[in-house]
Amino acid sequence: MNRSRVAAVVAVAGVLALAACGGGGSGGAGSSSPAASGGLRIKLVVNGGLGDKSFFDSAHEGLKRAQKNLGFDLKVVELGSDRTKWEPGFEDAAAGDDYDILAAGTFDVTDYIGKLAPEHPDKKFWVFDAPVDYRGGGGVCANRCENVYSVTFKQNEGGYLAGFLAQKLVAAKALKGAESLSKVGVIGGVKTPVIDDFVVGFKAGYTSAGGGESDVLVQYVGGDKPFGDPAKGKEISNAMYGQGAALVWPVAGLSGLGTFESAVANKRYTFGIDSDQHETLVDQAQRDTVITSMLKNVGNALYKAAEQAKAGSLKYGAVDSIGLKQDAVGYVDNDHFKQVVPESVRTDLRQAVDRINSGTVRVPTAF
Amino acid sequence: MNAVVGVVFSSAFLAAVMRVATPYLLAAFGGLIAERVGVSNIALEGQMLAAACTGALVAGHQGSVALGAVSGIAVAALLGLLLAALRLHLGADVIIAGIGLNLLASGGTAYAVFALLGDKGGTSGLQSGSLPRLHLWGVERIPVLGEILSGQNIVTYLAFLAAPVVAWLLYRTRFGFHLRAVGEAPDAARSVGIPVRRVQCLGLALSGALAGLAGVFLSMGYVSFFVRDMTAGRGFIALAAVFLGGLRPWGVFLAALAFGAAEALAVQVGTLDIPPQLVSTIPYVLTLGALATYAYRRRRRSNAEPSRA
Repeated sequence: MNRSRVAAVVAVAGVLALAACGGGGSGGAGSSSPAASGGLRIKLVVNGGLGDKSFFDSAHEGLKRAQKNLGFDLKVVELGSDRTKWEPGFEDAAAGDDYDILAAGTFDVTDYIGKLAPEHPDKKFWVFDAPVDYRGGGGVCANRCENVYSVTFKQNEGGYLAGFLAQKLVAAKALKGAESLSKVGVIGGVKTPVIDDFVVGFKAGYTSAGGGESDVLVQYVGGDKPFGDPAKGKEISNAMYGQGAALVWPVAGLSGLGTFESAVANKRYTFGIDSDQHETLVDQAQRDTVITSMLKNVGNALYKAAEQAKAGSLKYGAVDSIGLKQDAVGYVDNDHFKQVVPESVRTDLRQAVDRINSGTVRVPTAF
Repeated sequence: MNAVVGVVFSSAFLAAVMRVATPYLLAAFGGLIAERVGVSNIALEGQMLAAACTGALVAGHQGSVALGAVSGIAVAALLGLLLAALRLHLGADVIIAGIGLNLLASGGTAYAVFALLGDKGGTSGLQSGSLPRLHLWGVERIPVLGEILSGQNIVTYLAFLAAPVVAWLLYRTRFGFHLRAVGEAPDAARSVGIPVRRVQCLGLALSGALAGLAGVFLSMGYVSFFVRDMTAGRGFIALAAVFLGGLRPWGVFLAALAFGAAEALAVQVGTLDIPPQLVSTIPYVLTLGALATYAYRRRRRSNAEPSRA
């Protein structure tokens, strides 16, 4: 192999790699507002990609609303699913002078933000779904992260309602074709505190409504793409329905799309997650399996933060933990829900919501 | 423990093994053929992904599942030819070219889906349908066995048929003889008039097509839509099966089936009270063990050989 050939090969491989990165990653849906309205400039840095129909899409939607209604300037950077590109990606994003607020989410980014925030004291940082370590130490938050706003969600409360509803439906024999079954399933992406928070809440809700904890089947997708492997999600759902689950609740991003197909094939039921999946699914048979969806409204939380930031009242240097009471988690109460769920169960569920809001019930958490 | 045993001997589990093993089997046979013509096909993963994406997109747009499947396989075969061009005509390093193709497929499919549907996640908004399941007349009525063997997706039957077909092709046909000859001794093959490069190109196209059928199964059989990077490393596990199987059709068949069984087992025992981290390591531990066995066997063989020299 002569030298020019080696060069040609390296060039071709390099171009291919670049093309790939462009498609999967940094290309981004950078959208800037029509005119620099003097509004705050937000840069949403996604450690993954948009299009997950739940978490990141919800964050994006909330910030787009802030752009439209509050005159913010929005820029989106997608880093792709390759973890090795995340840290340099965040460094690049933070180094630019084209933003006032850098927003990022998930537990994975807390260390990056904790390191970058002290290096850019004149900028603000928002972290959603996980807090940075405000106590500092370990090379993060040298300035006590006084320019970082963290918001976390009480997904355990959403999980509680899901578990409560599931048990009430099973007990009332309200699930047509699955009346004789007493088990339910939850599928998590990976075993992390945030995902387990859903699971812990679900079990608490299920038992508080009178069910036995051993009737709750729990399994994680794991593997290479825990939130993007619908084939495995479907296989796990098949196994759960096969073991006698009347209903399966996927908390696993796009892997969960396999659950809805499995539910149709097995003539059983599901709950949706993060967005109203009765609305977002296209196949009518699949939509009909979705009794309700548990919402974790990341978008609303970011929109509220934007409102406060505009008014100058957003509290930096602290964690904001929001749940049912703040409308950050909840369930979808649409016509389909009313049609499938008997009136008595719906009343019970509303009472459970009241009990959480009033503080009579404290939902256990995985944190 | 009783619960685990109960699971393993249930017909639902054995049916799941066939389903889970399907993409491994097909991609592994693809890898085997490439390996036998002397070019490692690292790009199995990318070929599967490209086929999965093309299949769902074409089926969704044209309303024809068959057309979708054929175009998916065709795209994967073309990627096989592209690998052949990079390796055989341009002299590229086969590993780098393979990695390049995988990246191209990962980014290219995401880009294509976004450009056509405006969706960054996948084609779940498109109703593309899936390939038919076959209910084998007669077999269906056999107790236990009927539940396992009948009602699988058509591609699953093709995957299991691929083992005897590939064995026949490699060892019983002239083309198969040429395939093996150009892989083992290209110069000798050339000296007796075998068109080495053409045979290698055909082999790699066939390799890509088999990986393509595996990919089409994922997006049009297993589930009925494409999701970004949905192959999730299956192409690499298939590649491990190629070596574990000792580069022989029936060996590869058993290895791919074992990987399928390991994954199906992980799924079935996942709901039992075993730490999930432990369960999800089953396929990977098996892979490592398999590769160690392969290396050990190879060393023993090469230790035995010097006596000839």
